[in-house]
Amino acid sequence: MSPARWLGFLIVVLAVAPLVLPPFFLQLLTEIAIVGLFATAFNLLMGFGGMVSFGHAAYFALGAYTAALLVKRAGVPLLLALPASPIVAAAGALLFGFFIVRLSHTYFAMLSLAFAQIVFTVIFKWKALTGGDDGLLDVWPPSMLKSPAAYYYFTLAIVGLSILALRAIVDSPFGYALKAVRENPRRARYIGIDVRRHQLAAFVISGAFSGLAGGLFAFYNGSVFPDFAYFTKSFEPLVVALLGGVQSFYGPLAGAFGFKILEWLVSRQWPVYWPLFLGSIVVVVIVLLPSGFVGLVGGRVWRTTAKP
Amino acid sequence: MAHDGQALVLQTRGLRKRFGGVQAVNGVDLAVPPGDLRAIIGPNGAGKTTLFNLITGDLAHDTGHIYFGGEEVSGLPPHRLCRRGMGRTFQITSIFRRLTALENVQTAFLSHHRRHFNILVPARRLYRDQALALLERVGLREQAGKPSGILAHGDQRRLELAIALAGTPRLLLLDEPTAGMAPQERHEIMALVARIAGDTGLTVVFTEHDMDVVFAVARRITVMHQGAVLAEGPPADVRANTDVQRVYLGQPVPR
Repeated sequence: MSPARWLGFLIVVLAVAPLVLPPFFLQLLTEIAIVGLFATAFNLLMGFGGMVSFGHAAYFALGAYTAALLVKRAGVPLLLALPASPIVAAAGALLFGFFIVRLSHTYFAMLSLAFAQIVFTVIFKWKALTGGDDGLLDVWPPSMLKSPAAYYYFTLAIVGLSILALRAIVDSPFGYALKAVRENPRRARYIGIDVRRHQLAAFVISGAFSGLAGGLFAFYNGSVFPDFAYFTKSFEPLVVALLGGVQSFYGPLAGAFGFKILEWLVSRQWPVYWPLFLGSIVVVVIVLLPSGFVGLVGGRVWRTTAKP
Repeated sequence: MAHDGQALVLQTRGLRKRFGGVQAVNGVDLAVPPGDLRAIIGPNGAGKTTLFNLITGDLAHDTGHIYFGGEEVSGLPPHRLCRRGMGRTFQITSIFRRLTALENVQTAFLSHHRRHFNILVPARRLYRDQALALLERVGLREQAGKPSGILAHGDQRRLELAIALAGTPRLLLLDEPTAGMAPQERHEIMALVARIAGDTGLTVVFTEHDMDVVFAVARRITVMHQGAVLAEGPPADVRANTDVQRVYLGQPVPR
């Protein structure tokens, strides 16, 4: 099938899903979409910018808490609170990213992790505002979006538009220059690109969409907790992107699907063994399938850059 | 203007750089007029590449001045020098390996036209024709769609030249552009550089180990030895220079 047909097929399946699937699966699909957006935003940095962040939970949590706080503490409706999520997350990414992009490789990863731990600690300790360890409860969408099917469609629409936007960014001149920076920063400087500025811009875009994913998740979950910013959450998009394939734009989406379905299948039988199972899967994928799940499909459709 | 008379494209004055106990560049005065095709030669360790890296902003010099187009550019970072019209290639081929040859050159055009922050349009068709024309010029038209990382070594060197030319530089610095090439191809690529320079009025400064190539294309030659300029002049003068002959182990090297 051609890519256009695949896409059409996918849209039809997703559109009719609420007619045939019980609410539980709609919620699972909703979560897959949110995690998929988070991982795709993360992969803008890792796959296209060559920057591995160990602290993307910071921007997810900033988005989630922004939405939750606006709804809970200021009584702002969802449709106004949600757009604030990516804005606040982008501001956080600009502030932290300013320092993070000055470093590379391991140091880049560790500083991003450090900033995320700062965000976690602030959320955890600032009880008066954030509720600390108790989190913020009853962060529900308005009644018209409250049913699993309604929120599913809502999430799908926003995630779909975000994925299109990210795809456009990757294919834009900005995206070309970002790939150039990933491939060879020294050469990139010598075609006139300010490498740090470009990396920072990508960091802010990635942070913004991570924050949007966080905002969507807050209403999906009905509550927000400090561990949204914890380092284990930061590894989620990393694992998801690796499973799906970081070389491909759609890899993280495929990864989110595989990850969540496997998690559901395994945890309902043997909840204790999920981490063990996940670890094994990650090892198998990294060793045998370096281009991730999408490597199974192959073909030009999935490829975003020429192979070396 | 840092020079009396004619406007120079590139000038250095008293340029010095020390690495620990090694004075890699020791007071270099260089004056390159427009349209020059200047070879910088010298034995290994003479300071050629360090001089390049100082001029192109890759390294900070200890003392001295660098003027580009009459303006002091000491301390400017590489991307700003590039914006002012300085292009370069590296001694070890430096390209965007997982991008196609076409994308390599397109990206250089996008950046040159300051569209590299544009996220609103697809880049695929932008500057495609210009990039293909440039690839044609360096003999890579057939390779345009291939990932640049799989191209033959000589083709990668040509690609890097095309990347540098996409920025339509006033000054092009080539650090051993023919390194690792077969003799035949060396002459081809330097003849190509000379032709492009002649057509566009581009000023070229290059380092090179192959004396045949140097004496075939260079308009003037600067000979470096132990971080300083030993001699400078047209090929014939340099060939006859006894100091130069002594540095090259007493042999009448330049044939």
